[in-house]
Amino acid sequence: MADLLSTSVTGMLAFQRGLDVTSHNIANASTPGYSRQVAEFSTMPGQGSGNGFVGSGVQVTTIRRVYDQLLGLQLQNATTSRARLDMLDSLAAQVDGLLSSPDTGLSPALQRFFESVQDVTSDPASLSARQALLGEADGFVERLKGIDTRLNDIESEVNGRLREAVADVNRLAQSIAEANDQIVLAQGRTGQPPNDLLDQRDLLIRELAAQVSVTTVPQDDGAINVFVGSGQTLVIGAEARSLAVGGNEYDPTRVEVAYQSGGVNTPLDTGLTGGAVGGLLEFRASLLDPARQMLGETAQALAAEFNRQHTSGMDLRGALGGDFFSLAAPTVLPSSNNTGTGTVTASLSDVGALTGANYVLSYDGANYSLRDADSGQTVVMTGTGTALDPFVANGLSIVVGGAPAAGDEVKILPSRDAPAGLDVAITDVQAIAMAAPTRTLEDTGNIGDATISASTIVDVADPNLLTSSVIEFTGPNTYSVNGAGAFAYVSGDPIVINGSEFTITGAPQTGDRFTIEANIGGSGDNRNGLLLADIQTRGILDGGTIGVGENYGRLIADVGGTSSQIQASLSAQDVIVQNLEGTLAAKSGVNLDEEAAKLIRFQQAYQAVAQVVAITSTLFDTLIGAVRR
Amino acid sequence: MRISTLSSFFQGVRQMQDLQASLAETQEQVATGRRILRPSDDPIAAARSVGFKETLSRLEQFDRNGDAARSRLTFEEAALTTVNNALQRVRELALRANNATETKDSRAQIAVELREQIADLVQIANQKDGNGRYLFGGTLDGTAPVSPSAGGVVYNGDQGQRLVQIGPSRYVADGDSGADVFFNIRNGNGVFRTTAAAANVGTGVLEGGSVVDPTVYDSGEYTVRFIDPANYEVLDSTATVIATGPFQSDQNISFQGISFTINGQPEAGDEFLVEPSRYQSVFETIGNVVATLDTAVSDDITQAVLSNEINTSIQEIDLAIANVSDVRTQVGTRLTAIEGQADSNGAAALLAQQTISELEDLDYAEALSRLTLQSSVLEAAQQSFVITQRLSLFQFL
Repeated sequence: MADLLSTSVTGMLAFQRGLDVTSHNIANASTPGYSRQVAEFSTMPGQGSGNGFVGSGVQVTTIRRVYDQLLGLQLQNATTSRARLDMLDSLAAQVDGLLSSPDTGLSPALQRFFESVQDVTSDPASLSARQALLGEADGFVERLKGIDTRLNDIESEVNGRLREAVADVNRLAQSIAEANDQIVLAQGRTGQPPNDLLDQRDLLIRELAAQVSVTTVPQDDGAINVFVGSGQTLVIGAEARSLAVGGNEYDPTRVEVAYQSGGVNTPLDTGLTGGAVGGLLEFRASLLDPARQMLGETAQALAAEFNRQHTSGMDLRGALGGDFFSLAAPTVLPSSNNTGTGTVTASLSDVGALTGANYVLSYDGANYSLRDADSGQTVVMTGTGTALDPFVANGLSIVVGGAPAAGDEVKILPSRDAPAGLDVAITDVQAIAMAAPTRTLEDTGNIGDATISASTIVDVADPNLLTSSVIEFTGPNTYSVNGAGAFAYVSGDPIVINGSEFTITGAPQTGDRFTIEANIGGSGDNRNGLLLADIQTRGILDGGTIGVGENYGRLIADVGGTSSQIQASLSAQDVIVQNLEGTLAAKSGVNLDEEAAKLIRFQQAYQAVAQVVAITSTLFDTLIGAVRR
Repeated sequence: MRISTLSSFFQGVRQMQDLQASLAETQEQVATGRRILRPSDDPIAAARSVGFKETLSRLEQFDRNGDAARSRLTFEEAALTTVNNALQRVRELALRANNATETKDSRAQIAVELREQIADLVQIANQKDGNGRYLFGGTLDGTAPVSPSAGGVVYNGDQGQRLVQIGPSRYVADGDSGADVFFNIRNGNGVFRTTAAAANVGTGVLEGGSVVDPTVYDSGEYTVRFIDPANYEVLDSTATVIATGPFQSDQNISFQGISFTINGQPEAGDEFLVEPSRYQSVFETIGNVVATLDTAVSDDITQAVLSNEINTSIQEIDLAIANVSDVRTQVGTRLTAIEGQADSNGAAALLAQQTISELEDLDYAEALSRLTLQSSVLEAAQQSFVITQRLSLFQFL
């Protein structure tokens, strides 16, 4: 009888436990990361008697969470990939839209600038057309700077997000370590799995994986160790290490991720491939940096070529043209590890020779050497580095001074900051050089039918460029220059005098004269203007193969291409993550109908066992009644 | 298969969100009429359309350049027509002045009118274009190209010609310098010029004159001197006799590849000079006629002097007229070139426009049917979501 009662009590307790678990499931149906739990029932061992073993009831051996470790790991990896692509996509979309929009893109401003150059060529003396040209030049520079500022803002955003992501990583690592601690304790104390703590830790690890790619190694005591980057420990047992953010060696404003260990920060950029951190670093390295570089090169090439042509012309006042644009010198960033007091100044010696690379100049105690900042390849320099004989390499001219220490380094960025440093140097409309500096004249006393072509400038630096010269024919096939020399004349062959080139064609007679002189007052001349307008389509980048507009188009295509590829990968990864989540949810998720059914099952079982208690009572009453009589 | 209640809810929501995102994209496409909203939608097409837009803007600019050049050339054409008319009038007057019937007074009147013509031509040469720049100054278009001075009319401009870009590789001159129009005109017959010496006492009048053998003609200076009325000799610039011959009125005198005739009767010692043609301005040419008209005609000898001068001048006026007509032809050719280039620019622009439209523009029929499909799918998803989420066993407990 006592057995009957205690057996039924085990049932009541077990089914109550079952109801508890079910109600826990129902209550957590919407909790993220929750895995449904099931109470595992088993029979209580029977009591041996002469006529066999009599069962003594039911017991709950454990409450188990339904979870698939392998699926969980797959989901963690997929989450890392998706978080990376998500971050890349959101940042790339910003650059993507910026470059091509008619309101913010460079193309319309570039076109308007060259249109205004053309307008001046058809009416070179018009001050209003010249004013419009200066206005459009300003507009172009402003637009360029606008794009550069926006890219700079995006870089700041990357820096900020990196800081936030690293803070998140550290917070999550701390939480995982705490969870490890509690899990080890709980499991040691009871020998039972602390299901809800395990769910929480899995969720924390998945959140961590969304920030940065990690590897996890479960331990026998229930803890999970977490490693980051190329194997650096982030969580070991109950102890958490941390990541740190710091400035780049050369550029303190550029945030880099480092691993903190014993008070020393080791840069981690290469190992961090997944998650938001990986996405941020990848975006910066493969999209933002190249875009800024390309924009800078475009600005530099256009400004340098326009200046070159503009200084080969003559302005309305009869003076040789000055620089139309002012260009900033390359950016020089000394390493924060430098111990010496060396100074390095860089300037552009030949914009056409720039390769698009950034460089590191290092001093070994005796000599300077230059290397490509990305590939590490040595770049040969000529010169000695003094102001009179600077180092020259790949279009750069470098002057060194001061007292550098061995091992000191500076990074040289030729183009990155070019848009910010670009300005229109000319404010006076009269100073726009649309005319060629020299003109040619046929003497009115000439007898022969030879004619002289307009002059083109081949060497604007010639000190005698603006000095008048007279070619006089001393015979049908010989001529003298300013009364001296005897040069052979071949009709149509180019003749170069004092930096001006022209041709004389036809049959001159002895005594025929031609004059080359400064083009003073040539207000209607547009020869230099035509050459300026031609820059729009002339190949001036990549060794003279690509025009400015084309280069910008290439930038749009590059960014657009990368962006669309990221979008495609992201939607593929989304599907993978959704499938994995679905599969895991199918196994671990709570189904309310199922739980409702369980409620009914346990309720009925409980009622049945309670009925046994009632019967036990009746049996007991029957026995008492019999004895009383 | 088990279904997690929470994940079935989230899945339904996510599907609706995806559908809404596609719907929003289609809606934006329809609203803007553009297929490519961001370069990433079609990177290749986006980059190509940047290139075509640049082409289009350049073509439009070339048309604007062509318009500016056309306006200037139209101004020039009008001016040249006036110059031509003036020169025709000068020619008539010169011919009339050569008549033996004209009197001293009537010649003086002709001289007065010729001076007027010179003043008119100066005014035309100093005309400005629509932008207030001098038409005929070459590139020195800020100062009056022509100014009268004591020695005649001088040219202050240069010989430059401005080119304007009217096509991707097509340039056209938008004017001609005053040097080309008014000043650099060969005198004589364009190759050499014959004059009668002022001291001649015969009545020989020069006529005609042409190069018969250009390979022999050496642009030298020669003098035809009459030894006696029936014989002449030809001297070169070093006074060496290079040819002699019997003279007959109206018969060709030929030497050194050139040939001309002398009418009338020269006397012994009379000289006729041959020089290579030099540049002479129309102002000087007309000025020569005016100066000639001031000489009194009293007999056959003075008439011969007048005729010699005027014959040469008429030849020179004809060359000036031919020169103006040459320049006019060139202006006409340039105007035709501008028209032709504008047509071809227009065709190229249309092509570029079409390509841009193909690259960027939306196919509305396709987009609108896509919009309808997407919205009905979203509606279906919403309805099915409500139905499935309403099902729960708890309702029956």
